[in-house]
Amino acid sequence: MLGRNLIKKVLDAALTTNADFAEVYIEDKFQTDATMLSSKVEKVDNSKVFGIGVRVARGYHTVYGYTNSPKEEDLVKLASDLAQSFSGETRNISFELGEMKVGNAHTIKILPSEVSIDEKVDLLRRADKAAREYDKEITQVMIRYSDYVQKIWLANSEGTYVHDTRVRTRIAINAVGANEKTKQSGFNGPGGHYGFEFYSDIINVEDVAKEAARVAITMLHADECPSGKMPVVIDNGFGGVIFHEACGHSLEATSVAKGASVFVGKKGEVIANKLVTAIDDGTIANAWGSATYDDEGNLQKRRVLIKDGVLNSYMIDKLNAKRMNDECTHSGRRESYRFAPTSRMTNTFIDNGESTFEEIIAATKYGLYAKKMGGGSVQPATGDFNFAVGEGYMIRDGKIAEPVRGATLVGTGAEVLMKVDMIGNNLLTAQGMCGSSSGSIPTDVGQPTIRISEITVGGTKGAN
Amino acid sequence: MNFDLLFEKAKAKGIEDIQVYFVNDSEFDIEVFAGELEKYTIASTQKLSIKGIYNSKMGTVSTEIISDDMIDFIINSIIASAEAVDSLDEVFIYEGDKKYQEVSGLYDTSLENVSAKDKIKNTLELEKKVMANDKRIRMVQAFYGEGSKSVLLQNSKGLKLNKLVNNGLCGVYVIASDGKDQRTAIEYEQSNDYNDFNFEEIAKKGAERAVALLGAQPCDSGEYEILLTNNASSSLLAPHMGMFSAEMVQRDVSLLKGKIGEAISSNLITIVDDPFMKKSTKSGAFDDEGVATSYKELVKDGVLTGYLHNLKTAKKDNVKSTGNGFLRGIIPTNFYIKPGELSYDDTVKSMKKGLIITDLAGTHAGTNSISGDFSLQASGFLVENGNIIRPVALITVAGNYLTMLKDVTGVCDDLKFNFGYIGSPALKIKSLMVSGK
Repeated sequence: MLGRNLIKKVLDAALTTNADFAEVYIEDKFQTDATMLSSKVEKVDNSKVFGIGVRVARGYHTVYGYTNSPKEEDLVKLASDLAQSFSGETRNISFELGEMKVGNAHTIKILPSEVSIDEKVDLLRRADKAAREYDKEITQVMIRYSDYVQKIWLANSEGTYVHDTRVRTRIAINAVGANEKTKQSGFNGPGGHYGFEFYSDIINVEDVAKEAARVAITMLHADECPSGKMPVVIDNGFGGVIFHEACGHSLEATSVAKGASVFVGKKGEVIANKLVTAIDDGTIANAWGSATYDDEGNLQKRRVLIKDGVLNSYMIDKLNAKRMNDECTHSGRRESYRFAPTSRMTNTFIDNGESTFEEIIAATKYGLYAKKMGGGSVQPATGDFNFAVGEGYMIRDGKIAEPVRGATLVGTGAEVLMKVDMIGNNLLTAQGMCGSSSGSIPTDVGQPTIRISEITVGGTKGAN
Repeated sequence: MNFDLLFEKAKAKGIEDIQVYFVNDSEFDIEVFAGELEKYTIASTQKLSIKGIYNSKMGTVSTEIISDDMIDFIINSIIASAEAVDSLDEVFIYEGDKKYQEVSGLYDTSLENVSAKDKIKNTLELEKKVMANDKRIRMVQAFYGEGSKSVLLQNSKGLKLNKLVNNGLCGVYVIASDGKDQRTAIEYEQSNDYNDFNFEEIAKKGAERAVALLGAQPCDSGEYEILLTNNASSSLLAPHMGMFSAEMVQRDVSLLKGKIGEAISSNLITIVDDPFMKKSTKSGAFDDEGVATSYKELVKDGVLTGYLHNLKTAKKDNVKSTGNGFLRGIIPTNFYIKPGELSYDDTVKSMKKGLIITDLAGTHAGTNSISGDFSLQASGFLVENGNIIRPVALITVAGNYLTMLKDVTGVCDDLKFNFGYIGSPALKIKSLMVSGK
């Protein structure tokens, strides 16, 4: 790997003009992916990723470059080229890189590299069998396994010098149910900051597969969802995608710093029903979105975003902290060396309330129960969001009634936060991949069961 | 890396055939915001993807460390990967076609002849031009990016192919506000000829589109006649292009299974895959398997004529590969709905009561490519008696993609491509279900 002296040379080359900050990020990652389709292992792929990203800044103006070449002459040239985009004299910033700090907050028992491909592929076979045995209407099962060990080194002109290792694994199952009328699919994809022990200590592959099959079969026999405004109960776990999309992105410095978020200047103000406390926590042991250090070399931490309905904190990376004149919350993340870091979520969730699941359903005379959410997207400037309901039921007279499919929830984040009127006590998290300007990164979403008093439901059946 | 040495060592270890796909990329990106250069990225990267046949199974591996020291790792990975595969599908390393089309216009030196300084200056001016268009423009992000890519495909059967492409993208992201409501728009052009970028036009369109949506409110729920703009239609075509893949058909997850020769849409619709289109990075004479590419109309006057194939799916269906076998799977090259003859403005005038849909959000989540059902957040304009009455937002439009294609009653002449070279003109549709207030 690149030695301390070489890294120092590159940083010095980046500071030969008027820049006031330089950073080197080195990534060495080994990933294994395996896919199964029609009960056959289709593909097993190993990939070796290696590259170096150099970032140079003056104030909050940054330039970024990256390359695969570890050669001194190439790296010094890249740093000098980047420096040329700042005019003026060098500031003669003097710094030393001290002892390298090594991240070790998350224990890994079995490194994926110590496990044979056969053992990994066996998980696919077990999942496939369990999903198919669940119901004869399951006609296709697609399964994807992946693991990686991502080693990063980060050094900057403030003397930061850290090394962190992220070990993650995930199995994602997509079961398809079909009859003569339609095809419907169910998805389940748990993962974590774990080694191969994830599959013996944390999850049972058969249970994961059966759950995907259950959703597919339930939706196969569901009616089309009616449209209109109605109360919606969103269940725990992946239901937290509502907060992630509708509020989380608008609390990232990426949109706040430019004044492009509806939550600009609202710190200390009530932005949600007082029942709502929301947290972004990158320190949760072995969680999917956790790490010891963020991708700017700062220790991950727990951030209380909303406390009892009041906006408490944004998620802020190093450079946006300067632009916003606010504190950095150690929220800099990136997919790989191909991206400059920016403010991103880690494990983000609405905290527990006091109602039970049963109380929330019983208190709802008519509405939609969204048991499983699909994906969605949000326009940070307006807070307009939409997301698909993966498994839904109508609620009639305080009871869960017939299953419905094809529903989409549409609204704005700010509006929904105020309209959350019941929060359960059954917090659960689920795994997702979040895409934004610094690439696609693992994040947990989560919440207890919540009720939104009224939201637009777009269905395929027409108005009720 | 010495590929001949790799091929030789692989053969000695029992790998029957082997192929390397070597890509060299370079990139230059800038973004300006509030009169200053905010983002500036330069990059040069290499990636080597290798596949090899071992005991009649295909093993794959990729690496960004390119040196002879990696040869043993590559060979061991290919063998381990091939041994784990139990798919019975026949696998191929291709000896090549007799003839490959000469494709011109894929690399243009004009991008490198304009200095970085001038590109930054023009992008800064572009931001100002948008601001000057309307007082209600609150924020503009102007961006310019370009990339060039060289590809070498070489295998142990003696095939050796090269290509070089480049492309630039210039555009603006605009936020408009009237004090109460805030709306956004994105407008861009892409080409590999720097002279093609019309900054005045990009600024004007971007500003107009953002401002036009101010004050948008939901409309009443119900069925509406729809005019889907070129941007909205290409964003809806994108998540549905998978149904044209023979792999999806063979897996029985495509709605188009068994429909070759049948009318799957209105006879106004022709859908094209054109690998020879000029100025597109998706163009080229060969795919990632080394098969010669070809121009095809997958849907001709509403009738499905065929699917997209790679070597594997073609063998299964006993047809020839269409040259759509890429590293990421079976995908089209430049994929679009062929433009018709109607002008957009005349089409708006022809609507009695309907909706123009200009933007569809969350198309990755709100569509189901297996069933074709979609339910998407939309914005646009309400039209009555040929006149735009007011902007509309926070509504959902729902339907089924194939049913919608059957209900197309008019195709405009304004073909536009999105970032991924999927394109469409504006389409007039008999009706879709709208959920509003």
